[in-house]
Amino acid sequence: MRYLLFLLPAALLMAQTPSATRKAPDHKALAAAAAVPQKNFKESGSPTAPITLELYTDYQCPACRNFYMNVLPSLNTDFVATGKVRLIHRDFPLQMHQFSRVAVKYANAAGQIGKYDVVANQLFVTQPQWEENGNIDAVVSKVLSPADLEKVKAIVKTDTHLDDSVTKDVAQGNQDGLRETPTTVIVARGKREVIGGIVTYPVLKAYLNQKLGQ
Amino acid sequence: MKYWRWLLIAGRLGLAILFLWAGIAKVREPWLQFAISIDEFKVVPDTWLEPIARILPWCEIALGIALIPGILSRWFATIATGMLAWFLFIGIRAKVVGLTVDCGCFGSGHGTIDAMWFVEHIAMLLLGGAVTAGEFLMRRAPRSVPEPELTR
Repeated sequence: MRYLLFLLPAALLMAQTPSATRKAPDHKALAAAAAVPQKNFKESGSPTAPITLELYTDYQCPACRNFYMNVLPSLNTDFVATGKVRLIHRDFPLQMHQFSRVAVKYANAAGQIGKYDVVANQLFVTQPQWEENGNIDAVVSKVLSPADLEKVKAIVKTDTHLDDSVTKDVAQGNQDGLRETPTTVIVARGKREVIGGIVTYPVLKAYLNQKLGQ
Repeated sequence: MKYWRWLLIAGRLGLAILFLWAGIAKVREPWLQFAISIDEFKVVPDTWLEPIARILPWCEIALGIALIPGILSRWFATIATGMLAWFLFIGIRAKVVGLTVDCGCFGSGHGTIDAMWFVEHIAMLLLGGAVTAGEFLMRRAPRSVPEPELTR
């Protein structure tokens, strides 16, 4: 029985090793994959940054809009762009918000064509408009070219895996014990600190500087 | 008299436990979380958030410890009652202004300010008030009645 324990990882490794007998790669699929940005579009900053900040938001949540518009720009300039913080956006659409899930689909579809930041920003900025009627097409069309908008709409309609990352984010959020959005998870020295609610930038800055100084 | 003395000690220890609980719950969390809770009340400027968030929980712990031995207890009970009155006041103000606040009183997630919060805080304030009044009254009352001198 104990030999099986050694054999199992070896078998798994062999299963993952490319084999000469496998089917030849589909060049069309590879080309299509190359067109898709390889970097995770929800992440920014240096992967080796001493602090990782995971930001859980809901596109229809007013406090998230406040955080996105008033805290995030300074955070990006002072910490993310300087390599001190790695920022990961996580989606946590709340049940109470009717159009959150649709908004997430648009943002993530835009991410697949390299326009995540533009669309996510537009969704937060125009939140008061689209949350009235759910007309997300109208607001997104203002920041995308007609061709890009068609691509995004096609992905939203056809990509059955579009919600996979959201499902993962929500599962992680539940594991983190999220109670509200926005919630910031600060990961430093392997320790996860879950901070619920909206924080003002000067206070967040002081906290991050304290963490960096430790 | 003896009965009242024991009741007063129990009340004072109850008050001490409340303050210790509140302080320890906050200290166990990142101070940033408590700063967010304070900010939600909108009663102090941004520059005060960090010092208050870092100092207040330790003050609560110190006050909780100070209430235990019964030395200068009437003054410590007065401070505790004053703090409880202030917390209740800013809670009422938040409700009147229409703020949705996670009070952070006993750490995050203790709940937003609602009817239950008011019941809890009024009860705590009454406890504080009763202990303070009791401590002052006990101080004035003689500890034991001196026995009359017997003359032969």
